[in-house]
Amino acid sequence: MISLRTAVQILLLILFSQYVYGQSCNYSITGKITGKSGLGLPGARISITGNKQVITDRNGGYTINNICAGDYIISCVTDTGLPVSKAVKVAGSIQLDFVLQELSTDLKEVVISSTKEKELSTLNTVGLNNKQLFQSTGKTLGESLKSIPGLNSIQTGPSISKPVIHGLHSNRVLILNNGIRQEGQQWGSEHAPEIDPFTAAHVSVIEGAASIRYGSDALAGVVILEPAPLPTDKKIGGDINLVGASNGRMGAVSGMLDGAVDGFQWRAQGTLKRAGNFKTADYYLKNTGIAEDDYSGTLAYHKTNYGFNAFYSRYHSKMGIFDGSHVGNIQDLYAAFNRPKPITASYFSYKIDRSYQQVTHDLLKLNSYYQFNNQGKMEIIYARQTDLRNEYDIDLPYSDDPAVLAAPQISFKIKTHTLDLLYHQPDKNNFSGTWGMSGITQGNVFRGIRYLVPNFRNYGAGIYGIEKYTKDKWTLEAGLRYDYRWLKVYRRNDNSLFVYNNTSIYQNVTASIGATWKAAEHFSISANTGTAWRAPSVNELYIKGIHLSAASYELGDSTLRSERSFNTSISFKYNTEKLFAQLNIYDNEINNFIYAKPSLQPITLVSGTYPMFTYTQANVRLRGLDAEADYTFLKNFTLISKTSLVRAFNKSIHDYLVFMPADRFDNALKYTWLSKYVSLQYVKVSRQTRVPPNSDYVAPPPGYGLLNSSFGMDLLAGKHILNIDFSVDNLTNVAYRDYLNRFRYYADDLGISFVLRTKLTF
Amino acid sequence: MKRLLYSVAVLMALSAMLHSCKKDETAIAPPVPGNEFLTTVGLKVTNASNAADVQYAYWTDTTLIAHPADSINTPVLNLKASAKYNVEVLFQDRTTTPFGDVTAEIKERENYHLICFTASPSLNLTVVRTDKDTNVPALEVGLTDTFTTGAAGTGELNVQLRHQPNVKNGSCEPGSTDADVTYTVHVTN
Repeated sequence: MISLRTAVQILLLILFSQYVYGQSCNYSITGKITGKSGLGLPGARISITGNKQVITDRNGGYTINNICAGDYIISCVTDTGLPVSKAVKVAGSIQLDFVLQELSTDLKEVVISSTKEKELSTLNTVGLNNKQLFQSTGKTLGESLKSIPGLNSIQTGPSISKPVIHGLHSNRVLILNNGIRQEGQQWGSEHAPEIDPFTAAHVSVIEGAASIRYGSDALAGVVILEPAPLPTDKKIGGDINLVGASNGRMGAVSGMLDGAVDGFQWRAQGTLKRAGNFKTADYYLKNTGIAEDDYSGTLAYHKTNYGFNAFYSRYHSKMGIFDGSHVGNIQDLYAAFNRPKPITASYFSYKIDRSYQQVTHDLLKLNSYYQFNNQGKMEIIYARQTDLRNEYDIDLPYSDDPAVLAAPQISFKIKTHTLDLLYHQPDKNNFSGTWGMSGITQGNVFRGIRYLVPNFRNYGAGIYGIEKYTKDKWTLEAGLRYDYRWLKVYRRNDNSLFVYNNTSIYQNVTASIGATWKAAEHFSISANTGTAWRAPSVNELYIKGIHLSAASYELGDSTLRSERSFNTSISFKYNTEKLFAQLNIYDNEINNFIYAKPSLQPITLVSGTYPMFTYTQANVRLRGLDAEADYTFLKNFTLISKTSLVRAFNKSIHDYLVFMPADRFDNALKYTWLSKYVSLQYVKVSRQTRVPPNSDYVAPPPGYGLLNSSFGMDLLAGKHILNIDFSVDNLTNVAYRDYLNRFRYYADDLGISFVLRTKLTF
Repeated sequence: MKRLLYSVAVLMALSAMLHSCKKDETAIAPPVPGNEFLTTVGLKVTNASNAADVQYAYWTDTTLIAHPADSINTPVLNLKASAKYNVEVLFQDRTTTPFGDVTAEIKERENYHLICFTASPSLNLTVVRTDKDTNVPALEVGLTDTFTTGAAGTGELNVQLRHQPNVKNGSCEPGSTDADVTYTVHVTN
């Protein structure tokens, strides 16, 4: 803890030393934001050290008044582009112009899925800006997205979490990593996304049926992670991130170097992360450590009308599973639940024992583009992913053979090849659009001592088109896609061990139509309605086995049909210097929704009696609203308020859906001065009262409220920018359990944590 | 022309990669040799005063065994009142022929295991474990036991194999359940 105190002292010193500047506060910064074409960009947001914000006028000009002398970082963000930052020293009124590079066609092609390439703009899209991403470094991807209204995370202890959009997750949420559909064993709620969040410089979430561009399955939405654009003129640059947290004594270091030489661009990046046993308010959670090491590299070459890009990344992580969550059967689970605290020893250690998961994910992406003379553009993208997931149970296998003893109880290896060909038509007569086709093939190999899911091979193909019409205050868009999927499953007969196979074919259409009306200068309304589908996944069709941490026995149904969703959303956005407000309302009707339904008959195994869950289908409805308001009510004071509500109902059996996020209210007060900020946040999560009977072992936990605070600043270290953030999570060390954390049966959630984050950009 | 050749080369490289993928999924891994499943828990009960009076009762997991006999899951022990029996608990893998013996592996990991017995109230039966592991201090295991019967009666005897890695303390509470089976016991005069 001494190092932490020292760190705080240093922060305070830096803070007060800066007051030397603070005499004169009537300077101003003026400037103009232009694209590379030289035209001014209206509607861009200029923010000074993260808070004070102005919007550019019709000609791209802006003025920020009443600025004190000091060091600042000025950032410029447009709706369609990547943020640009500049560090300035203010000792008088100055002029500062930005030229945004993202409008240059050559760069746009390199980052194909960059936000400005968003094909469907009438769906609600929320992004995490640089600052928010920095403030969540060290967290899992699922955790860091929770600051977006409408998002939650489903957790299996502190080390495993995955994103939930509008109540849906796993196979119904697509994750797009650097333009590629993440393909692992994403069906399992304890299978976290195999992605190093440090590779992303921009994270955004499209809420709604966004399946047209990225293939079927995205019934709930798409999470998009994009790297920073490669430099075009810098010989060498980069950044280094250092994160330390008291809880779990977590440390992470991530570094990146990039540069450009003679039309070639390159980047190398790596991350190391370690954490030991995490602590709740009162006790340590034994065997909850994480050991992660990731690296990636990019090499690109581009000329004015064509270019190539090669990207390779490797993710490798070992995650401990909390010792107190091991239950042999339902009696063990009830016994664990009825204890006030787990009976496992409470101590700190970095050691990861059985049981644990070990996951390796490799991604190779090659893409190329060609720009025609008419400004249309053709792109081809190939990707190969290999995902190896090994799960080691707490018990060693019953064997004397050392090779069997060292082997995982469950092992999945899935290889995915994808090929995408797309054409961006030139913007002409107010029309723009994207047309394309894509192919995918996957082979899954399951090995293990316990049976869980079978081997399979699938082939898929899709063809789509998206057209957008923009004129005056209106944007209209429509998209259509057709997909074909062929699945062959290889299994052994349980009794005869004879190998046989089953083939299924699924094909369907995805469609979307939407409009945005810019009703006034600061106010716009968007509406979108779409239909999407998802073929049943292999686990839903063929799973047969015990979920060890949930003490349940799951049985698939090979006759399941595809799900079909009808998703309608409407959102209102108001954006001025003082007030940003957004309201998004949605209705997602899903027919043939696949879920695990509790059976009346339990199953008796040698290790005891288990409740049995069988996969079945029903028609369901998910409705909800997400709201956010950021109000600067006094000079330097901002109130940020976010609300997320989801109501999920099973129309077939007239009951609620199980494991849906409870109501969440997130309010924060932020004070910003010079290049520093301090904020206090209160997150209130209600008790989930809308649950069906007999589908969970215990009632949902009570609601809870958490206080978090953070203090940070942006400094100039020579010519470089140094970001520092010091946060305290769960300030009052509240003992609580969250409904979406599967380990709530066994233990409390995390207690207080002091986190120091630093980032040096050079 | 150069560009065209370039594109053709790229496409060829891509198709080569697509073709090179092996169809690993068609080879389904056979059951792991050397691994044993715990399918069956048995009791070998020997009358302490009559070595010829030996009974076996087995409980078998019918989800793991092909075509089990119907009677396989209703094990019964018939004991005499006010008598003493030496008992061995047997763990078997009946997915193979001949049956695999899992008892030896449990004996090897005796410091991680504990066998717990619970008799229903209507059953006058006292169970004492007679073996110890190599923990310091040594703790009971339960692979060998003594059953002492009282007055006549009928009830159920639950036998649990508790798996307690690094947390074994002599009580049944820590750890998780590896086996949880129940026998019907008749005690007659």
